[in-house]
Amino acid sequence: MVDLSVILAGFADAFTLTNLLFVFAGVALGQLVGAIPGIGPVMAMAIAIPFTFALSPLAAIAFLMGINKGGLVGGAVPAVLINTPGTPDAAATALDGHPLAKQGKPEKATKMALFASVTGDTVSDIVLITVSAPLAVLALRMGPVEVLALMIFAFTVIAGLIGNSVTKGVIAAALGLLCATVGLDPEHATPRFYFGWFELYDGLPLAAVAIGMLAFSEIIRRIIASRGIARPAIEIPRDQDRADRRVSFAEYWACRYVMARGAAIGTALGALPGIGSTAAAFMSYAAAKRADKDPDSFGKGNLKGIAAAESANSAVMGANLIPLLTLGIPGSIGAALIISALVIHGIQPGPLLFEQQGRLVYGLFGAMIMANVMNLIVGQLGLRLWTRVVRAPEAVVFSSAILLCIAGVALSTGGLFGVAIMLIFAALGYAMTSFGYSVVIFIIAFFLGDRFERSLSQALVITNGEPSALIDHPVAILLILVSLISLWRFGLSRRRAAAGDAS
Amino acid sequence: MTIKHLAGALAATALLTVSATAQDWSPPGSIELQIGFGAGGETDTLGRVIANQMEEQTGWTVVPQNKPGGGGIAMFTGLVNAPADGSVIGLGVSMPVLINLVLRGDELPFDLDSFDYLGTVTRAQLAIVAKADQPFDDIPGLVDYAKANDGAAIAFDAKPQELLVLAINAQDDAGLRPVSTESSAEMVQFVLGDQVLASFSAGAHLPYLESGDLKLLASANADRHSYAPDVPTLREQGYNLYVDPYFYFAAPAGLPEDARAALSEALANAIASDPVREIVENALITSVNNLGPEGTATMLDEGLVNVGTLFGAN
Repeated sequence: MVDLSVILAGFADAFTLTNLLFVFAGVALGQLVGAIPGIGPVMAMAIAIPFTFALSPLAAIAFLMGINKGGLVGGAVPAVLINTPGTPDAAATALDGHPLAKQGKPEKATKMALFASVTGDTVSDIVLITVSAPLAVLALRMGPVEVLALMIFAFTVIAGLIGNSVTKGVIAAALGLLCATVGLDPEHATPRFYFGWFELYDGLPLAAVAIGMLAFSEIIRRIIASRGIARPAIEIPRDQDRADRRVSFAEYWACRYVMARGAAIGTALGALPGIGSTAAAFMSYAAAKRADKDPDSFGKGNLKGIAAAESANSAVMGANLIPLLTLGIPGSIGAALIISALVIHGIQPGPLLFEQQGRLVYGLFGAMIMANVMNLIVGQLGLRLWTRVVRAPEAVVFSSAILLCIAGVALSTGGLFGVAIMLIFAALGYAMTSFGYSVVIFIIAFFLGDRFERSLSQALVITNGEPSALIDHPVAILLILVSLISLWRFGLSRRRAAAGDAS
Repeated sequence: MTIKHLAGALAATALLTVSATAQDWSPPGSIELQIGFGAGGETDTLGRVIANQMEEQTGWTVVPQNKPGGGGIAMFTGLVNAPADGSVIGLGVSMPVLINLVLRGDELPFDLDSFDYLGTVTRAQLAIVAKADQPFDDIPGLVDYAKANDGAAIAFDAKPQELLVLAINAQDDAGLRPVSTESSAEMVQFVLGDQVLASFSAGAHLPYLESGDLKLLASANADRHSYAPDVPTLREQGYNLYVDPYFYFAAPAGLPEDARAALSEALANAIASDPVREIVENALITSVNNLGPEGTATMLDEGLVNVGTLFGAN
């Protein structure tokens, strides 16, 4: 156990004006790049790392942590305002955020996203600071067999988002999984569907597919729908009620269970490396929708939908640091970048970190708390700016968004190849939405497909293909049972809905 | 390839570099440093810091660019068509390139002669580790244990490691089952969580050796590891196999002699700088090891033969 004096010294190290400035700069930068489609906090962190070499370790990590946390908030902004998620994990936020913005309440929607994001983030940070060591031991017991079962469970929960036609939903999911198989197969490294393009060896670039499908296709749709009249991207009534511009405490409090569930889902998925915040956001959203008394109000601007998605995807961030700090295992690319920043400064995350660098770790925790507060402050100011930006004429907003998408994707995928992929998937996304196929289901299947296949192959090797070996994995059996129940309830609710339509 | 051989090549290269100092050469514009991996990995960090140091030392503009895909294959595929005037250089890792040349050389638009080599940064140290409380201490012990227990799962994160496992199976009929993972960190996680009996690792195991949770069974490199000189290599334990992944710099073939000399000298100076040495020591737990232009070419030629053997063994 770390000494109390070390903890206090760590926090004292963190709360200095210099660190505050670095956290502030990081958060502001993170929110900005998060809000710009295509660039994202991961790219910004990768570029910033060599520059942090000159800083003290704590200031460097505080700065990067600020970028990462700022990006969580920033990603929601374009998702809500123009339905083009800046980061894929904000796609779930757009489901209810954008309808609310279209009703002329963009500030309310973005503020709810901000509050839910900071809430989820803070909850998972508290879990990290207090019980990371026992949680890490627990996470270590969760091997590929358990992760596979957990992913099956996640799929059955997310199935709730499938929409009106199960057939179309399954087709969209199958297409997503098919696209996830492009590249070297995870077991024997045989190239699949690469058509001579070596750029595809590592699979379709995530950023290009996500931005193309989610952001670019929506921009095309809006441009096609525009009729040559210079309208603002979002119309806000001039004499708007104050209540429509802010989130009251009663509204925030009404979402407390949704946010608690989101934070729990995000923390659990974050503590297990590799599943990621996009899945957490959709899982939390689907669970909130299913649990709500009025599930039909979701997708039409329900604050709970925003709260569910944002609290979950932000909670992943803090929880990602649990395996990172205690075991040296990164749970996401952002976390991997934090590790590389740590090792650049000669700090090896792992079993001895708390012992050898306890003061620094608690300094880092202090910086995370500061970053959460900063997120709230910078967010409050920034959101006002962003909602003003989207009042510009559509032609200006969307043409700049196109430029940013192209530049961002070119930057993060290393050239025009990624841009070409983005354009292909923008066309596919446009066609799919036009014919009523869910782009969201496609993206989830695409995101989880790779990990699913890898876990399946790992689980098969580890159990040697024997179903009886599952006896040694009680958690996996439990998860599979829960998945079956979840699937059964899903079928039941659909039958009830169908009966309701018939009568 | 022996160390002596490398040292010889290194010395020869050093002489060559000194005699052909190309003070007059300067790049036609900015230099694009293509990194064959995505942002955030070890190669990316190395590339960016080296670019930074080169800029500071020479005054040239060096722009790092990520060209991920196929462990560097995508980057080298583009590099082969880049102008051979010193304006574009690439940073890659030897093993994935050599494997693809062996496996599907006829499909690739390049071979080893398509590039001029400028030097190496270092060699990654690949270990085979198991939990400290396992009843064996080396690979023959692991094989015996696996035979007595219906085989065992072994984690790997790159093709050559899988081939090593299969080659051990072929030699000893050990019944080892290779489990594919994405990184050293994931492999160590599986070992600690008792998901697999043993695993490869290129660095993530080091804190656990120190804490006493893991033990080193063998070095999978051609020679022993700097941090554990007492643990024999796989070859010393009776398996004639090794992998030596080098981080190396290349440019399109046909680089003018003065450009080649100036670039390799600038790279050598950047690689020898304190920040780069520190990062190699901190991130890869090894020391910088620049083989120089000729040494790099020799390393790749010999590596190609070795990888061919590795595949032939199965």
